[in-house]
Amino acid sequence: MQKEKNIVNQEEMVGEGVGFERIRRITGYLVGTLDRFNNAKRAEEHDRVKHSLNKQA
Amino acid sequence: MNDGIDTIYLDFKECENILMIQQIEKRDGRCVFFDLTKIANAIYQAAEASGGHDYQLSMRLALEVADYVEQHCGTTTPNVEYVQDAVEKILVESGHAKTAKAYILYRNERSRQREMNTGLMKTYEDLTFQSAIENDVKRENANIDGDTAMGTMLKYGSEGAKQFNEMFLLEPRIAKAHREGDIHIHDFDFYTLTTTCTQIDLLKLFEGGFSTGHGFLREPNDIASYSALACIAIQSNQNDQHGGQSVPNFDYSMAPGVRKTYWHRYRDNLAKALEAFGLEEEGQEAAKALIASCEALPDLADENGVSEQIRARLLERADEATVDHIMSFTIKFARRETERSTYQAMEALVHNLNTMHSRAGAQIPFSSLNYGTDTTPEGRLVMKSLLLATEAGLGNGETSIFPIHIFKVKEGINYNPGDPNYDLFKLAIRVSAKRLFPNFSFIDAPFNLPYYQEGKPETEAAYMGCRTRVVGNNYDKTREIVNGRGNLSFTSINLPRIAIKADHDIGAFFSELDRKMDLVIDQLKARYKIQANKKVRNYPFLMGQGIWLDSDQLGPDDKVGEVLKHGSLTVGFIGLAECLKALTGKHHGESEESQRLGLTIITRMRERMDLESRETGMNFTVIATPAEGLSGRFVRLDRQRYGKIEGVTDRDYYTNSFHVPVYYPISAFRKIQLEAPYHSLTNGGHISYVELDGDPSQNLEAFEMIVRYMKECGIGYGSINHPVDRDPVCGYTGIIGDVCPRCGRHEGEAVSVEKLRQLGVYKNYNSTTIGYHGDPAEERDRQPNCICSANDV
Repeated sequence: MQKEKNIVNQEEMVGEGVGFERIRRITGYLVGTLDRFNNAKRAEEHDRVKHSLNKQA
Repeated sequence: MNDGIDTIYLDFKECENILMIQQIEKRDGRCVFFDLTKIANAIYQAAEASGGHDYQLSMRLALEVADYVEQHCGTTTPNVEYVQDAVEKILVESGHAKTAKAYILYRNERSRQREMNTGLMKTYEDLTFQSAIENDVKRENANIDGDTAMGTMLKYGSEGAKQFNEMFLLEPRIAKAHREGDIHIHDFDFYTLTTTCTQIDLLKLFEGGFSTGHGFLREPNDIASYSALACIAIQSNQNDQHGGQSVPNFDYSMAPGVRKTYWHRYRDNLAKALEAFGLEEEGQEAAKALIASCEALPDLADENGVSEQIRARLLERADEATVDHIMSFTIKFARRETERSTYQAMEALVHNLNTMHSRAGAQIPFSSLNYGTDTTPEGRLVMKSLLLATEAGLGNGETSIFPIHIFKVKEGINYNPGDPNYDLFKLAIRVSAKRLFPNFSFIDAPFNLPYYQEGKPETEAAYMGCRTRVVGNNYDKTREIVNGRGNLSFTSINLPRIAIKADHDIGAFFSELDRKMDLVIDQLKARYKIQANKKVRNYPFLMGQGIWLDSDQLGPDDKVGEVLKHGSLTVGFIGLAECLKALTGKHHGESEESQRLGLTIITRMRERMDLESRETGMNFTVIATPAEGLSGRFVRLDRQRYGKIEGVTDRDYYTNSFHVPVYYPISAFRKIQLEAPYHSLTNGGHISYVELDGDPSQNLEAFEMIVRYMKECGIGYGSINHPVDRDPVCGYTGIIGDVCPRCGRHEGEAVSVEKLRQLGVYKNYNSTTIGYHGDPAEERDRQPNCICSANDV
């Protein structure tokens, strides 16, 4: 149950400076943020294209 | 040449007394006494290297050097470099060419070592004063936080060890090949210390209890302890090795914990019911006695007659309706509580494996869990709970990074409708479509199936971490099992460089590849020699607790060389795609001919390793290298050397092992077809990835179709990548472009509390700074307390 004693200021803003998390796989391991990728792997991740599900292609 | 013919006697002390030069300035700026003997010694050593043996001559030449310096420096103090230049000059001018050459070589080698020392200090400076964002070295391994104290300390050690190993341990030709990027010795910082990875048999470890070196742990008696000890075992072993830790039989390992939990819950609930229905004053003792009088112990399936026997006993004392109540109460609550405990144990395990640390607190253990084939209700409950806990995510719904889950797919067990674990295969697909794990391994792959023996989980091919595979055993053919074995070390070959140097000459390419293979095999053997001389006490857990196969036969001071032969010595490769580009102009995704050549290249590597295995009785294998730091290093060195070559050195990375390049548009099916044959060649490990667009949770049929196609094509190990993003402010998990689809904020932008309230995702009234504010939609899905029966996922 929420504590009603805490009155919220409806004008209040949150999340300033908070980035999105992007989980990616790198050499088999998941990494929660691209910040920890080394330069080469960042470039590789950037280049990745999606694979179509077209049987003919 | 007049080396060695001059015999005039010179008294050195006298000479020094008449010298005007008194001091010399060292490289670090300090001024020290000018010692003529040092110059004479250096000249003598150089002369010796070219066959001279006349110390008197060396002294005379040293005096000439001193004269020369005096004449040219006057009263200023000369520095070391100046004096060394003078030595070279005097040697050359007085006709001692060979000695001069040896002296220059010696001087260059000293400079290189000095530069390495200075370089190391520079590296330390960067590690100390730069953040990970600025410093690529700190991001060499994405799972170490290089900004932390322990992360930085780890890097100091690692960088220092690398230089020491290169300067003092490697044969010069191997050091050169490694330094210049012909080959790459992985985990080079650990060169003298340990081996890569192990497949830990928890069943064996738990039997009778074990010790971590800081106290003894009794054999666990409850699923909660089983899961906690599993984490401790992984952590302890991680501290003895530099690679990942894998459990090849997680379902089988945890099932006894569930079984024991059920016994206890059954007894406790029977005790409660006996008291509640007035049959007993002290239910516990009565329940124990009742269970003890049965021929078996109660279990989840409830088909072994225990409940019937107890029921019969109770009917002697109570009416049928009461006994029915007692029995249904007992079974219902024993089952419910066991299911709840198992879920909580698996939830705790996932949390632990994402938070516990190894390596001086800088790194989370690299944990992998293989499972999928245990068809007992207990084993099934373990898998179901683990999958559901993974699907639910961590405390704030985040995707867990560890463990790596590997779902073992096997026909007749979980692959087809009607198979006993087919429901778990479907669940694995659903979880993977949301959380990127599990990956899928295929026991039916033509190269995995020959090892498989029904009823022997240790013969089911398993994978470690990113891809390593150890199952065949050339050292001991009777032990072709996964348990207690792993990789000892591996070294990768820079395939694109060999191709660039061959300049479209296929013959030249293969000759050079053969030479590089020989070089790597020599290096792997040299490293094995160092590893073999270690003792059990160097690995208190891995060897001391008998994790490694046959190490339980050894004492603390025994060498580990013989038992290590159960492990693999492995050559890897990266950039097959760029290699083919350089040789033929097309990679294997672009041309059938290149694909054939690619297969010929990797077959050649495999045959060489098979030959080495036959000759040595050890396990030499080929791995499709998981290159993290290496993917950028090789291409950087090659671009410096050969410039930017289109399709070869024009990107910042070489393509992973035998993969079709990530930038190349290709259908998932074609990619799988092309990569599958390489799986059968790379017996030391492999993985193939498919990149899916969109949210595959919305299209599980497509996801399953890909997994099934992998199996049908003979892939050994595969996984599907798809975007998993999360907005920590509103808690949305899914795909996020520039704008969060739920709260509408851009990255870094603030959002009003009112908006979050309207969305129903703002509930933490105290928090204005911490990102996550709760996600009722997601939390509703977690259902930690209402797990349906293990038999109906």
